[in-house]
Amino acid sequence: MTRTDALPKTAGAREYGFDLSAPKMLWAVYVTSPHPHARLVSLDTEEARRAPLVRAVLTSKEVLSLLPHREIDEASPLLVAKASRFQGEPVALVAAETLAAARAAARLVKSEWEVQPAFTDIESEFSEWPDRDRMKADPRVNAHVLAHRGDFDRIARSCDLVHEEVYRTPMVAQVPMEPHSCLAKVTGEDWHVRTTTQTPFGLREDLADKLGLPQEKVRVEGTWVGGGFGGKNEALLEAHALLLSKLAGRPVRLALTFREEFLFTRTTQPAVFRMSSCVKGGRLVARRTRLLLDTGASLPGRDFALGFALGFTLGPYRLEAWELEGYALRTNRPPFGPHRAPLAPQCTFAAESHLDSLARRMGVDPIEFRKAHIWTPGEINPFGQEVGPFAAAEALDRAHELEKAWRAELKGAEGTGIGAAVGFWSTGTSSGGEAILRLGPKGLSILQGEREIGTGSIVEGLRAIASSRTGLPREAVRVEYADTSRAPFDSGVWGSRTTIALGRAVEKGCLALLRELAARWSKGGSGARGGKRTGAPVLLFEKREVRVRVGDRVRSLSSLLTRKERREGGILSHGKEYGRSQALDTSLVQEGVLYPYADLIASVHLAQVAIDRSTGAVRVVRYAAFQDAGHVVDPEGYRGQVEGAILMGLGTALTEEGLLTPQGRLLNAGLLDYRVPTIHDVPRELRIEAIEGYLGSGPGGAKGVGEPPIIPVPAAVANAVADATGARVRDLPLTPERVARALGLISSGAPTPAEGKGPARAGGSVG
Amino acid sequence: MPFELLLPRSLEEAWTLLEQGAPGSSMAMAGGTDLLLAMDFRRFAPERVVSLSRLPLDTVEFGEREVRIGSTVPLRTIELDPRVRRALPALSEALAEVGSVQLRHRATLGGNVVRASASSDLLPPLVAMDCRLTISSRKGRRSLSLDEFVESSWRTKLQPGELVEDLRIPTPLPGAYRWQRVRPANDISQVGVAVVRHPTHDGSSAPDWRIVAGGTSPRVQRLRGSESALLSPWPSEEEIAEAAQRAAQEARFATDLRAAEEYRRKLLEALVRSGIESTLERLREGGGR
Ligand SMILES: Cc1cc2nc3c(=O)[nH]c(=O)nc-3n(C[C@H](O)[C@H](O)[C@H](O)COP(=O)(O)OP(=O)(O)OC[C@H]3O[C@@H](n4cnc5c(N)ncnc54)[C@H](O)[C@@H]3O)c2cc1C
Repeated sequence: MTRTDALPKTAGAREYGFDLSAPKMLWAVYVTSPHPHARLVSLDTEEARRAPLVRAVLTSKEVLSLLPHREIDEASPLLVAKASRFQGEPVALVAAETLAAARAAARLVKSEWEVQPAFTDIESEFSEWPDRDRMKADPRVNAHVLAHRGDFDRIARSCDLVHEEVYRTPMVAQVPMEPHSCLAKVTGEDWHVRTTTQTPFGLREDLADKLGLPQEKVRVEGTWVGGGFGGKNEALLEAHALLLSKLAGRPVRLALTFREEFLFTRTTQPAVFRMSSCVKGGRLVARRTRLLLDTGASLPGRDFALGFALGFTLGPYRLEAWELEGYALRTNRPPFGPHRAPLAPQCTFAAESHLDSLARRMGVDPIEFRKAHIWTPGEINPFGQEVGPFAAAEALDRAHELEKAWRAELKGAEGTGIGAAVGFWSTGTSSGGEAILRLGPKGLSILQGEREIGTGSIVEGLRAIASSRTGLPREAVRVEYADTSRAPFDSGVWGSRTTIALGRAVEKGCLALLRELAARWSKGGSGARGGKRTGAPVLLFEKREVRVRVGDRVRSLSSLLTRKERREGGILSHGKEYGRSQALDTSLVQEGVLYPYADLIASVHLAQVAIDRSTGAVRVVRYAAFQDAGHVVDPEGYRGQVEGAILMGLGTALTEEGLLTPQGRLLNAGLLDYRVPTIHDVPRELRIEAIEGYLGSGPGGAKGVGEPPIIPVPAAVANAVADATGARVRDLPLTPERVARALGLISSGAPTPAEGKGPARAGGSVG
Repeated sequence: MPFELLLPRSLEEAWTLLEQGAPGSSMAMAGGTDLLLAMDFRRFAPERVVSLSRLPLDTVEFGEREVRIGSTVPLRTIELDPRVRRALPALSEALAEVGSVQLRHRATLGGNVVRASASSDLLPPLVAMDCRLTISSRKGRRSLSLDEFVESSWRTKLQPGELVEDLRIPTPLPGAYRWQRVRPANDISQVGVAVVRHPTHDGSSAPDWRIVAGGTSPRVQRLRGSESALLSPWPSEEEIAEAAQRAAQEARFATDLRAAEEYRRKLLEALVRSGIESTLERLREGGGR
């Protein structure tokens, strides 16, 4: 089956945010801070204002005069007023008649900076685990979480073995193919922005807050989205574009360059994991994780990173005792932001590498060891929650079988290895969503507020759900898009929740329609002849017209509609889904917030690698994913999500990392040296198995699939490398150079370019 | 920056256009894959861009002892030419790794050598094959070895008003190209090594080996110490190991964001060894010579 948006997108017939234009539109570009931390001594925009074709320049001064009533958030201003908090922080914008003119004028903006010491390397500052008193006094601590169950220290003293390791993960970026882009137009009281976003309603709230406006005055209209991966969840450039439009009285188009994408969008920053595990009588009994998390220029209490991440480091395993402690540190990097299963691949890399290395140290099979501890449905997990339907144990069994088959084929060949890893995830069902359905003679339409971000969850997923609930073929189901002033609320395309939560709203809307039709059928319909009802109604689509069947009787839909409905195109229903949020036993948490997990989803992966022992180069030859699916709504869409997640995860595993100079400037802000996987990096064999039957809370028991399959990828690859070589790489990504260090080919020590010598050049052209 | 795009149909016309204005104000363009990026990055701002696309420089001609590759032949055409694959395996191996197929349909050998990138995958095999360039201008033609031509990244002996007409390479030449990248495809080589065995003339003396490294320093490097470790037509394990070690010792290295010096050294050693071994394997398969 071809996805409905595939051909038009390939032919360039769908408008992405980047493609937007309007009559009399101005082109805007950013002027950003060159320094991660510096005081802005002076900003001179005179020359830029006088440059040809320039129509408006926005600095913090203009922001103040345009928003006189707004309370200024000193800690996170719309544009740098006093000091930059990270390299690339926006300082000013220039809008001109052409992009070239805007760029040329932006170069004429003169800024003078007094450079301050930048805090961009948490590792060098906290080479040891810091003590709590010191951290209490440290203003850079954004959040502190401390939680435990049982007494880890006591167990550590009395057990047979304590296994301790440190793992590190770098900055990684979402890298959507389409950069952030929007078109803003302020007309009177109507602040209208068309933008490439995952969360139109979230954005409206965010913008209303940033601009000091009531939400009704802000109208957010989504466009087709060229990839989001969590990076298009908040208002990044929309407020700037709107203010410029207000200033110039013209529509304003603003889009980031790829360099800017890397420099100032919100993403995953580095983390250091100190892992300790205790073994007694051959069993894992206790674990402690101490996590230092760089949350960039985030502000205290403004993100969920730490409290959400920590729990993943325990893995879905039975434990008598655990202790989780972490600090989220404010640094001079861009603020933290969600990124496909935020921090779970990093936490799982640490946790699953650590478990693997522990099993190998004990001389037991790493998969057997996992099987002996994995959570099973019905048991109470270490967080004190009941484990619901969860396919991890079955997935592990299946993975184990495949692993044995692979091993039999490999026969221990030199430089080959197989690694396994388990990840778990929890779907964001507690955030609500609504859809308005209209069933008419020509088909069913779903009016909702999201846009398709590429996953297919809107263009196909919602239609598949409506189709399976009503009986209509997918071609008779249409999705309608509307801006935030017309569409019913939804909380966004993120958290693997769209099919689950918005899908449930669609499902409920369908069921309500069918109930209504059933009632009308028994009553004889409106203006039509009744009959005895035998069974639930099913919708048919014959000769491009909707018909209703009950038992063996079929009638046209029209005959069941009122005259008004016929005039207005059909019968309406409004489906709403607002899930319940979970709570965690508060006695477990001493300090800060620990997020509860709910609706568990398991991913069990196997990677087979080939390693060149003379260079450290790693190639992933085969890959298998066993996914806890609940119920698969759309098989092709499902497979696409898993394939994409594996490939994206291979980037995190093997090549992706933000590299900083000692002064804290990003060296590889571009696609040349920030290496995302390409089609050539797809493993020769990619095996995907959806395990159904452990039902989730989505339609038909579906579970989310956008994020879970990326979670175990880096760990599976690292474990395969350890299997092949006996060498454990504890830092991501596993570049050839890092693997060479682990193999002892070159001396260990800080990898490039933290050494900070040599002709490391920022940007520029090839070689 | 606006510029004028010129499409001369003859060499004479092209030479005249390239001479116009101050040095740098007229620039030749073949595939444009590097030039247009460099202009976008504002490294160059020529007033005139002289496209070579309509000049008769786009043929590959095999002679008895030599192949003549026109400077504007797309890399993809050379890569797919079975004669090149047979006669110059090191070159076709390197060509297949340059960027992507899309890029290779546009990019040319002339552009690659004039760009003279430190990390070019094509300079090492071309230098190892004793490639010579035919360079011409209104003043006449001259021939120069590629090894002399390249000075460093973006810097060559090309004079204002000159263009590269063709590259001439003796054939056949057994050899191999070995490279390493963080990401195997669409990335820049951390180190690239070409190994080529030139035929002996009297059949008795040691064959003439060339070992040439790229990606390690600002300029492609011939590693003569390494070459001289290969004393026999069929070098022993020890000779190969010695050649690899000498290569790692004699080469100049840089540390940059793509690799540390220490790692490049190790890589060079591994790749020289693998390049020699693979060349010998090819020779054996081809019946030796
Ligand atoms: C995405 C990408 C990936 C790449 N990957 C690789 C890689 O993996 N390995 C690698 O080696 N290279 C790689 N390159 C570089 C690529 O090989 C060069 O860009 C290409 O060979 C240049 O050829 P061109 O015909 O496009 O040159 P142009 O861009 O047209 O010209 C380059 C320079 O040479 C001059 N010039 C061109 N032809 C002549 C001539 N006949 N006489 C005189 N001067 C001339 C121009 O004036 C200009 O200064 C990559 C480039 C890109 C954009």
